[in-house]
Amino acid sequence: MPGKRNVLKKGKGEIMKFSNLGKETPILDGLEKVTGRARYVPDLKMEGMLYGKVLRSPYPHARLVNIDTTKAARVPGVKDIITGKDVSQHRFGPMVPDWVILPDDKVRFHGDEVAAVAASSEEAAAEAVALIEVEYEELPAVYDPELALEEGAPLLYEEKDNNIAATFNVHSGDVDEALAGSDIIFEETYKTNQVYQAYMEPMAAVAVPGDYERLIMWLSTQIPSMSRLRYAEALQMCAEDLRIIKPHVGGGFGAKFEYKSHILAAVLTRRTGLPVRMVNNREEDFRAGNPRVPMKIWVKLGLSRDGTFLAKDTRIIAGNGARTVYAPAITSTACYRIDSLYKFKNVRSTGYTVYTNTIPTSCFRGFGNAQMHFAMESALDTICHQYDMDPIKLRQHNGVTPGFTSIHGWEIKSCALEECLDKAAQESNWYEKKKAPKQKGPVKKGIGVAICNHVSGNRPFFKPFDGSSALVRLTPEGKAIVFTGEADIGQGMNTAFALIAAEAVGLNVKNVRTAAVDTDISPFGLGSFATRGSTIGGRAVYEAAVNLKKQLLEHISRVYEKETDQITINNGNIYFDDQEKPVPVAEAMQTISYTLGGTSLVGQGVFVPDTVLPDENKYGNVSPAYPFGCHIAEVEVDTETGRTRLLNYWAAHDVGRVINRQTLEGQVEGGVIMGAGWALGEDMVINDGVLLNPNFHDYCLPTAMDIPEGHIYSYFLESEDPNGPFGAKGIGEPSLNPVPAAIANAVFDAVGVRVKTLPITPEKILEGLESG
Amino acid sequence: MSGNNNEQGGRLTINFRLNEKEYSLEIDPGERLLDLIRNRLGLIGAKEGCGMGECGACTVIMNGQAVNSCIIPAARADGAEILTVEGLSGGMENDLHPLQKIFLEKGAVQCGYCTPGMLLSAKAFLDKNRGREIRREQIKEGISGNLCRCTGYQKIIEAIYCYAREAERAEERKG
Repeated sequence: MPGKRNVLKKGKGEIMKFSNLGKETPILDGLEKVTGRARYVPDLKMEGMLYGKVLRSPYPHARLVNIDTTKAARVPGVKDIITGKDVSQHRFGPMVPDWVILPDDKVRFHGDEVAAVAASSEEAAAEAVALIEVEYEELPAVYDPELALEEGAPLLYEEKDNNIAATFNVHSGDVDEALAGSDIIFEETYKTNQVYQAYMEPMAAVAVPGDYERLIMWLSTQIPSMSRLRYAEALQMCAEDLRIIKPHVGGGFGAKFEYKSHILAAVLTRRTGLPVRMVNNREEDFRAGNPRVPMKIWVKLGLSRDGTFLAKDTRIIAGNGARTVYAPAITSTACYRIDSLYKFKNVRSTGYTVYTNTIPTSCFRGFGNAQMHFAMESALDTICHQYDMDPIKLRQHNGVTPGFTSIHGWEIKSCALEECLDKAAQESNWYEKKKAPKQKGPVKKGIGVAICNHVSGNRPFFKPFDGSSALVRLTPEGKAIVFTGEADIGQGMNTAFALIAAEAVGLNVKNVRTAAVDTDISPFGLGSFATRGSTIGGRAVYEAAVNLKKQLLEHISRVYEKETDQITINNGNIYFDDQEKPVPVAEAMQTISYTLGGTSLVGQGVFVPDTVLPDENKYGNVSPAYPFGCHIAEVEVDTETGRTRLLNYWAAHDVGRVINRQTLEGQVEGGVIMGAGWALGEDMVINDGVLLNPNFHDYCLPTAMDIPEGHIYSYFLESEDPNGPFGAKGIGEPSLNPVPAAIANAVFDAVGVRVKTLPITPEKILEGLESG
Repeated sequence: MSGNNNEQGGRLTINFRLNEKEYSLEIDPGERLLDLIRNRLGLIGAKEGCGMGECGACTVIMNGQAVNSCIIPAARADGAEILTVEGLSGGMENDLHPLQKIFLEKGAVQCGYCTPGMLLSAKAFLDKNRGREIRREQIKEGISGNLCRCTGYQKIIEAIYCYAREAERAEERKG
């Protein structure tokens, strides 16, 4: 019967046929987005809602001597004002307990929260904030992580002996011996700068009093369940009494984790008994968001004459900012994740995450791995140039392969890294272009390559567990709803989940949707980070769908009196072996439901990956699947102006399995342009602790004019990971990781200038050209 | 600003057409067009992304021009004809504006926060260039005032380009 078989048989040479996967499926929540009806947190309005506003410190480091709110409280419409004196001073925090709701002793960065106001209008709240009188006593401050490490540097936390928030150490093999035995030794220092995620929807929360003295929080967040735990700790309440709802989210890219203003909105709501909406304006989002961790990365590599990697030695100094968000985990990732991209035998790495009186830093697409990729992939390019090695072949010679266990115990089950390199090289005409003579005239073309790895879930990120669970409910109308705690923040994850469920059950994706995350209804989900959504969240959805299908088949068998092995479900239709005409699932479900008191069928699925917390030597498989990729950038550099333009870009990714080609391409194109923005200009300029460019006029994001003159070409290799749903691995972060290095390497190819400090500005290129 | 508004105790009364509907509203002198649209009319499609006219998330079409409604005083709307994303179509799947449809089909939408503004900038650009052959480079310029952090723009440009080609072909068939 045509279109009937939907059985997935894995085996050599056998082609899996899918009715939903691998296609260009427009996102299922697109209609409300193109019509402007999609509601984001800043669009929410509640009866009696107050507007919250934060007073932020104008000093990078200062003692709070006195705060007088008398005048502010007189502003008509002001309902509440809180300072450090009004809130508990217990400490909490995502990684290090160095957060308080509001400080009563001192502020530690320009933008630090001093007080918060709730008023009946935004204008009244702003006026009141301006009228709060604070007496500050300025303290000596330190902004540079290296200076903060020095003896006698001003201390951010006086109870500590130094400004080190965290130290990471790993040593596997014997690096000194391996270096002594190396034919080639390369040593260099690279710097990656502080950049801003620049999601279009600023940080936002609406807190609402709930029944039973509970609290409801509508959050623009990528971690609904984890923030619930943390906010319960901050608010000293039971997590069960906190209900988090995540509506549409206007991007996050790593920034939208635990956030102070969310907690302040909650405190103001609990005190006033009224809903409070707290939305950052763009300037405060710049000044007190969670920008990328800046790093100084020293790398030493030892190779044999044939290009085999023998040793890697790394030292990293990373800026934590004034309190700890996730920078220590990001630093450790920078220290050692790339060790599982290549077949290293000896590695050593030390990373210091250092407090400074600057904006607290945190996750940004790539999570430290992106910073290290800039250093490592730039270094390899220089080695290739100096020793006349081929950059593609060097990487293929040393890159991990399927079945390999890395030096840190990471089990590479699926891997198409070699194929990614071949594909990108072939499609870009790499070898011809590398051989081609340089253009005459001032404008030179260049081509550069960089590869990447990443994780699809990171076991140590949340100590208690990694994993996910999901429910798929099939209604009496034959529609399926996926319930997950994983957070779609605009990437199209909800559509991917619907596709996975549709494929596994045999439904048409048009009849499947994914519910908004609501912690009262949705399962606990760790959220959007570590490129884990499609793989771990998706696998839980797959398991739930398989469980649902089993129930559905049993009920069909009962109602239609057929053996289950005579039944096939495909694309929303039920086929019986002995019957020509299929029965629509909707029709069958109605019958089934009416025989069962009107019930829906609910499939539950759990996925607990076989990963471990790394031991004291940082050994242990942290992720169920590892995605890989190869990027090749083609640029044009004007030697008169120093300006770099992207001409074309080729990105080949091992994604395990294509769930939705359209959103995959969207992730790659977005990641490439985000990486290009970082590589070629984005920079948070901080002078004496003050951010000088806290707006989109002075902080230049890529616009449509900055994308490649030619095209971003995406290629997907399907290595069929045994853990991912239908073999799928993640894409979010790998799409960005290699970009700055690929561009830096292309710039070097074009004009022979090696820029080791991001961003690659015209000034640095001109300076490099002058010094020859 | 046309001269027919009445000032009463610091408040102005303005008359305008928005999404083909007539409005007469009293406004505060300091009110922004974006506040008027979002807070007074309850139309949430226009977003505040920066409040400084730098990101384009609040774009609406006023008298045929794409404008950043976050830096336009509401008073300027007096006598104006305004289109917001809510006026682009009836809002149901079967009566979407062809631009909305092609944005969806081509994957030009991810988080969606920039989408209403992007659609309106695209529409204003296409309306201005009606009957002309449009190149991708012009489209890039046409939407260069609208920031999108998710898509890398490629699919947005492709969607607008496909729409323009489709419109050109339709013109040819008519002509």
